Amino acid sequence: MPFVKSSRYDHITDTKLLELYHADRNQEWIGILLERYTLLLLGVCMKYLKDENEARDCVQQIFLKVLTEVGKYRIDYFKSWLYMVAKNHCLMKLRNQNGRITKELNDQVAAVPAENRTELVEDDRAYDLLEEAINELNEEQRQCVILFYLKKNSYTQISEKTGYSMMKVKSHIQNGKRNLKIILDRKLKQKSERKP
Amino acid sequence: MSDSLKDILSNLNPDIDQELLLQYLQGKLSAEEQHTLEKQMMENDFESDALDGLQDFDNKQKIGMLVDQLNKDLRKRTDKKKKLRKKLRADLDPWLLVTIVIILLLVVIGYVLVRSQMGK
Repeated sequence: MPFVKSSRYDHITDTKLLELYHADRNQEWIGILLERYTLLLLGVCMKYLKDENEARDCVQQIFLKVLTEVGKYRIDYFKSWLYMVAKNHCLMKLRNQNGRITKELNDQVAAVPAENRTELVEDDRAYDLLEEAINELNEEQRQCVILFYLKKNSYTQISEKTGYSMMKVKSHIQNGKRNLKIILDRKLKQKSERKP
Repeated sequence: MSDSLKDILSNLNPDIDQELLLQYLQGKLSAEEQHTLEKQMMENDFESDALDGLQDFDNKQKIGMLVDQLNKDLRKRTDKKKKLRKKLRADLDPWLLVTIVIILLLVVIGYVLVRSQMGK
């Protein structure tokens, strides 16, 4: 039965594995590190290339690229760096195939770890305004955001209840969340302007 | 309610276990587990993109096998380089180097001696 093995190296962090690699230049450390992301890489390649065989080949190319290039850079956040490498590789492949003009990822943006991104709102006032803000979303987004975050439904359940496809559900939630943050920011700004 | 609202604003993203993600794709998780994983994946662009792509596979059962094969190929590649390095290290055994230097010295000394004998 095929499975993704949990490795005996699971307790070692990505950063530690990179340090081990820099200490003895043994590529097996990078191999262990890459195996943690094979499934995600396959998904990203599939998203861009839309072909199972091409996606598989693309993952192998990314592996090779990482193995040859990882020693050249100082990488603080391997996961973000790997995502940037993978995305750029897919975009380059698409450009070569179709002559499509695609935008390279900005290294700076991708190098920032998700957990360090500035929280848009950490203000308690935001929670009071949130319910108000939800009501300002369009119907689809409001419906999906409420079902997902407040009723804790899965995509499948929301899809069954609303009739939207899974992809649509995901996109309504993501866009709804983004819009909520914009609406909240605006409301908080208005509130603080009103204060003397 | 307020806890649920906080979820919308938070950027929590504990790393997602690949095995759990595979189970999700194969429809083996409960609705509650699905929701938890979806919420975590939404916080990270890498994982969110990956989920979009993985949903496009016609046969979700095949994904695990594909990942397994990719990992095996990767291991072969890193293992090959390791063996090559070991071989290179063996070739550069210090005793081997000493032997080569001694042989070369003997050849040079022999040559010089023969030349000097012939000169006489």
